[in-house]
Amino acid sequence: MTNVLSLLVVIPIAGLIPLFFFRRDERAAKQVAITTTLVELVVSLWMLTQFQPGEAGFQLVERLDWLPSLGISYLVGVDGISVLLVPMTTLLTFISVLYSSGGAIKTRIVEYMTAFLLLEVGMVGVFIALDLFLFYIFFELMLVPMYLIIGIWGGPRRIYATLKFVIFTLAGSLLMLVGIVAVYIASADASGSRTLSLPELIELRNRFPADFQFWVFLAFALAFAIKMPMVPFHTWLPDAHVEAPTAGSIVLAGVLLKAGGYGFLRFGLPLFPLGVQAWLPVLIVLSVIAILYGAIVSAVQKDLKKLVAYSSVAHMGFVTLGIFVLNLQGGVGAVLQMLNHGFVTGALFLFVGIQYEKTHRRMIADLGGLANMWPLFTAFFGVFVLASLGLPGLNGFVGEFLVLLGTFAFSGAPPLGGLFWGPLAAIGVILAAVYLLWMFQRVMYGPVREAYRALPDLSRLEVACALPLLLLTVLLGVLPQPFIAYIEPSLDRVIRLATDPSFIVVASK
Amino acid sequence: MTGADLAAVYPEIVVTAVAMIVLVADAILDRRRAAFALPIITIAGLIVALAAVFYVVPAAQYFRGFVTIDAFTSFFRAVFIILAIFAAAVSPAYLARRGVPAGEYYAIICFSTVGAMTIALSSDLITLFIGLETMTIPIYVLAGIQRTDRFANEAAIKYFLLGAFSSALLLYGFVWLYGVTKATDFVTIANLLAAQGIANGPTIVALAQTNTKRMLAYSSIAHTGYILAAVAAASAGPSATAAVLFYVFAYGLMNLGAFACLLYFDLEGTRGASLEELNGFGRRQPLGALAFAIFLVSLTGIPPTIGFVAKFVVIQPVLDAGLAWLAVVIALNAVLAAFYYLRVVVHMYMYEADEKLPRLVTGRGLSVSLGIASFAVILFGILPNSIYQWALEAAQPLVR
Repeated sequence: MTNVLSLLVVIPIAGLIPLFFFRRDERAAKQVAITTTLVELVVSLWMLTQFQPGEAGFQLVERLDWLPSLGISYLVGVDGISVLLVPMTTLLTFISVLYSSGGAIKTRIVEYMTAFLLLEVGMVGVFIALDLFLFYIFFELMLVPMYLIIGIWGGPRRIYATLKFVIFTLAGSLLMLVGIVAVYIASADASGSRTLSLPELIELRNRFPADFQFWVFLAFALAFAIKMPMVPFHTWLPDAHVEAPTAGSIVLAGVLLKAGGYGFLRFGLPLFPLGVQAWLPVLIVLSVIAILYGAIVSAVQKDLKKLVAYSSVAHMGFVTLGIFVLNLQGGVGAVLQMLNHGFVTGALFLFVGIQYEKTHRRMIADLGGLANMWPLFTAFFGVFVLASLGLPGLNGFVGEFLVLLGTFAFSGAPPLGGLFWGPLAAIGVILAAVYLLWMFQRVMYGPVREAYRALPDLSRLEVACALPLLLLTVLLGVLPQPFIAYIEPSLDRVIRLATDPSFIVVASK
Repeated sequence: MTGADLAAVYPEIVVTAVAMIVLVADAILDRRRAAFALPIITIAGLIVALAAVFYVVPAAQYFRGFVTIDAFTSFFRAVFIILAIFAAAVSPAYLARRGVPAGEYYAIICFSTVGAMTIALSSDLITLFIGLETMTIPIYVLAGIQRTDRFANEAAIKYFLLGAFSSALLLYGFVWLYGVTKATDFVTIANLLAAQGIANGPTIVALAQTNTKRMLAYSSIAHTGYILAAVAAASAGPSATAAVLFYVFAYGLMNLGAFACLLYFDLEGTRGASLEELNGFGRRQPLGALAFAIFLVSLTGIPPTIGFVAKFVVIQPVLDAGLAWLAVVIALNAVLAAFYYLRVVVHMYMYEADEKLPRLVTGRGLSVSLGIASFAVILFGILPNSIYQWALEAAQPLVR
């Protein structure tokens, strides 16, 4: 069946209908949400089996006339870059919903589950949309549910945090909207017909002059840079993460941040090669700053959750660095790093949340000696911390290693080449080991505190939530080649489109 | 005047008749029955009028060139009638509480609607002016219909003075146009002005838009700004006018909906809802709050709502006309707008209700109307093609 991608959009929406009728029954609402996200996960894995790895172009493409008077169509499809991000999204959503239904969320369950299902529509849609208009709709559709999730079920400063999140994100995305319309107008051919379909736009991108690309790429880049977030647009992130409920943090870090990096790869690089070249020095410098600054700021955090949040800034720095060195190793590393960060940081936020549910403390100074009481917790948390700092054998290493490899090979025009930026970025890996291990030591080891002595280890539900992430972390670390085989051909095409403005792929559809 | 002329203005005739019937029924029925029957008569009559809009009359000029019927006319007639139906549907409980005479109220809505529709079908300065006055004079009355309320009286007087003043200015402009061109019909005026090298399209569009601006006079200036941005981009051709039309439709739908949501809070002793009164609304009235949130998200311009599509179709001609800076201003302004619209959502969903808050007012008419309107905001946000197509067709005759 070729409608599997539309099915992925429809399933969460269909889940809203029983949710509406069970709006007075919290137990039923939880079951509906769990079932819906589980079905979505299964369908997304089935989609993965339908996909032919080794081909560069878009697959499972569906097209419907949607706004014929504007020349806009409903166009979805996946390639090697997006095909793995979709199951990652559905898995993290399922885990979030499962964890939330175990008692972490106590008020307004029905509204909460509604927000999560809507969020899932937006998140999955972002990774499969191939029409810029459709992409924008899904991109913004992620905004309102997350705004509610932070604002209603968040911590004490949730309202400040959620408004900041929305205003930052909207400022970027509305400029992108102007950019999208500009692309739409520039796409006009002799007969005046216009399009926002990505495959068609790639074919006719030679109509975009250099100064047009300079400005329009800037509009897109601002939206993605805020979403990622890149330094200096990252200030909303620590606030949002600290105030968000655990499940909100998991999908925020795991999926929403990826929309930025994905946007660069999917739209920024192929459509505006000249714009990318013009902004390349800035983007590389900002990426390296993010890696170093994120690591240093993480090291001095007193709040456990804020530490994980700032570590995301550093990890996203690796993603953007890998993208903008514009070679195959760097790009593949960036996509792997997006997946790894989704699993690992999602898991770290899960464990910070579990820990907080038990101790009601998040300040590192208030914690300590947890390892003595919680062997299971320690084992899981330890693996994810090691993965996050890039230990060989776990997934974090593969992504960061490839990004560094790509950076060293980078021979671009900017003031200094890859041999300058590579070692600087490598320092970031060392710093990550410093702040993560130091945090792990202070939280897990040391004398046991009396107040925490009676607290139970991981429950069965919590293990069930963490286990799939653990398996993937090890699998991606030991056996990355099958995943790389999915990513490589499509990424190669994107890199060629970005580095050679005259390179034209005649789209299959 | 021929039969064809009369057939051309069937919808206006029906709405006028509805107003008369309402007045007569009000005199015959006692107070309780009237409160029940009048909104039903009004809505039923307006639905008949809406059907009459789609009774196809050949697009042409009627009444010796004083009236033009085309897609543009039909578009606006339908918009005005739908808005009037909505206003009539949400009002009964409000009227009862405030002791507003129902017969006069519904008649005024109908008369004012006829005025607005007349503006839409005018192809001559004289028809335009008659329509304008027919629309605004009932609204002056409406503003002061609560005779015992000092604030309402003040508002009515202010509105009347301001309205009379701008009518006089507009009339002065008409006279000036007549002096220059020795004609009162739009086509002749446009042709002569074009011949004299004065901008043609924008003048006529701006004239035609006088009514929309006034219709939106009570609404936020930002949204009028978007419409004006599209007007300023008139050199981009039909898509600019279509954007104006689409925006007016979208804005009417979502703004009226948002205002109607405030009816939940309308109680004796309060004048409009303060933000604190909205605290915990999401819990006290989940579906009402959901509808309100949808209208606010749409006003902000976030998909998948009609407000987003409206923003998209406005930015398009603005960029087409080469006004990139204006598009960026629109985008940044929307961020500011997001701040104040979303603050309302914050109060509804993220603060708990205070114990002392006044009771909410509920009514079936209100709930059903809000349900339909909020559903429409999302439906046309996802499937805007038919409306945009219609707006695009309606825009054709304007750009001669």
